[in-house]
Amino acid sequence: MNKKPKMAIFKFTGCAGCQLEFLHLEDEFLDLLDLFDIRYWKMIKRDNDEKEWDISLVEGGISTPREIEEIKQIRKKTKFLVAFGDCAIGGCIPSIRNWTPQMEVEDYVYPDTSSIHSMKVTGIGEYVKVDEILKGCPPHRDTLIELFKSALLKIRPRLRKHSVCVECKFNDNECLLTSKKMACMGPVISAGCGAICPTLGRVCEGCFGPMSNPNAAALAEIFKDMGLNDKDIKRKFRKYAGMSPEFRMEAGH
Amino acid sequence: MDAYTIEKKDMKILLKRFQEDYKVFGPIKPGLESKFDEIKSIEQLHLDYISTVLPPKKFFHPPKEAMFSYKIEKGRFTSKEIKQNEKILIIGIHPCDVYALLKLDKLFSGDFKDPYYQNRRKNCVIVALNCVKPSEYSFCSSMNTGPFLDKGYDILLTDIGTKYLIELGTKTGEKLIEGLNLKKATKDNYHEKKRRLETSKKKIKKSMDALKISRIAQKNLHHEVWFDLGECGGVAGSLPCLSCGSCTFVCPTCYCYDVYDTVDFSLKSGTRNRELDSCQLLEYGEVAHGGNFRKDRKDRIRHWMLCKFGVAAGGSNSSCVGCGRCIRVCPSKIDITAVAKAIGGG
Ligand code: SF4
Ligand code: SF4
Ligand code: SF4
Repeated sequence: MNKKPKMAIFKFTGCAGCQLEFLHLEDEFLDLLDLFDIRYWKMIKRDNDEKEWDISLVEGGISTPREIEEIKQIRKKTKFLVAFGDCAIGGCIPSIRNWTPQMEVEDYVYPDTSSIHSMKVTGIGEYVKVDEILKGCPPHRDTLIELFKSALLKIRPRLRKHSVCVECKFNDNECLLTSKKMACMGPVISAGCGAICPTLGRVCEGCFGPMSNPNAAALAEIFKDMGLNDKDIKRKFRKYAGMSPEFRMEAGH
Repeated sequence: MDAYTIEKKDMKILLKRFQEDYKVFGPIKPGLESKFDEIKSIEQLHLDYISTVLPPKKFFHPPKEAMFSYKIEKGRFTSKEIKQNEKILIIGIHPCDVYALLKLDKLFSGDFKDPYYQNRRKNCVIVALNCVKPSEYSFCSSMNTGPFLDKGYDILLTDIGTKYLIELGTKTGEKLIEGLNLKKATKDNYHEKKRRLETSKKKIKKSMDALKISRIAQKNLHHEVWFDLGECGGVAGSLPCLSCGSCTFVCPTCYCYDVYDTVDFSLKSGTRNRELDSCQLLEYGEVAHGGNFRKDRKDRIRHWMLCKFGVAAGGSNSSCVGCGRCIRVCPSKIDITAVAKAIGGG
């Protein structure tokens, strides 16, 4: 029997929801403990070793100089680095603040800003090489399991990055955009959630970030025809992936 | 074969008979956004529907299915077919969708037999319904696939006012209505059917030249519409394509699928699955080491339309049956008949 691969889980600027999604694997979580040796995970472990890891999952974006140093260290000690969730991929919700001047944002939150050393929020890929991304806010449990199994088998995980509309159609849903004139982000957003929101009659908010090769400009045009104003359209594209190259223009850079 | 009529209010008798031997499916909502689902009582059946989101293809070539399970034990590999043997009856399939099934039959029963499809098809009875209310998106009359049907059914219904005309296409269909004491159809009933066919035809607004389009598309591989559709401008008032893939998933004749394994945590057993795929999606043309045959959106939408026009994998016959679903569902309002016209195949 091979030695179990060593795993580490880290958190930067984010809400810890991705780590929680991992914990929520529940039944499969116990199977995973048999297959991986979790060496570093501050959320659940008292003793954490900082040597080297075969696979590291990084949650959260980078928003301070200290985080830049840390992510570089992690990269050095990791064979396979995964950007775990939208924050690690492109900054996600915390990056909404990038559109407001730094001083102003700090003043919203802290009475005394003298000890704050914060910068614009970006994904970890801004500073280190990333081997795989797990999309979602948070990623779906099935994609996590797919990633782990593929890592053990040393094959490429099957992570389809096509539109949410694909999954929406699989569910035989009537389209909210074309039949109800609701501003659904589905046509430019990566699948992986199973189209939960449209299936429940709510528009896709975009929490899995841009799909592969999206046509954001065309969707923005559709929203405009539907009567959304520029500000609303920008907000929609900024919400989860405003920093992504795919949505940059529509998010108003 | 003989033909009969049944009063609309007596349809529950027919349904009850169907349910004796089959799980019955039919349209469960009126209008354009109907859906084929199980019919347990007559109130659920909406034969006045116009179209459905997914075509009945979903019963034979479902969006996702497990094909077989496998395991490795003591170095030996074994697999077990996952068979679908449920007997079903689908009531209310419109002519375009029946023609689409006939096209799929050809594909899945040709040189490469597809046992999963064939098995499901064999276990299904088709109770078709002539289309008296074609949608504003239909163009079946151009494609010779409607609005009325002449083959591919076990039983065929036509709405002739307060009654349905019942025509039989196979022995299975004949047997199904045996002993129900239905009224024999009269000349007048047939006359009414004919009249309804004429009015139905007149309601169809869209068209395409089914005979010419394949040749014309072949000659226009580098026409500017492909750029307009893929990148900017659009065609005939549409926006450019989003590559969302919706058009292909709702299309009753799109058959492409992806095959993949789901392995258990033991890494020693699992299932092999297939899932519908779409040539509109970037990953479709991807090969090892990140190569991709159709990286550009314009190449993907061109490929899809060419297939529908009868130039790509589908062969020289157009694989479109004119159901209009792709037009209705496209967020960018891309209309395949308008594209055909733009390249000269209207
Ligand atoms: S409801 Fe949204 S996700 Fe579903 S098909 Fe329509 S646009 Fe796509
Ligand atoms: S191409 Fe469009 S109109 Fe033709 S069969 Fe497919 S969905 Fe229907
Ligand atoms: S439905 Fe329209 S936008 Fe979506 S892939 Fe098809 S043609 Fe393109």
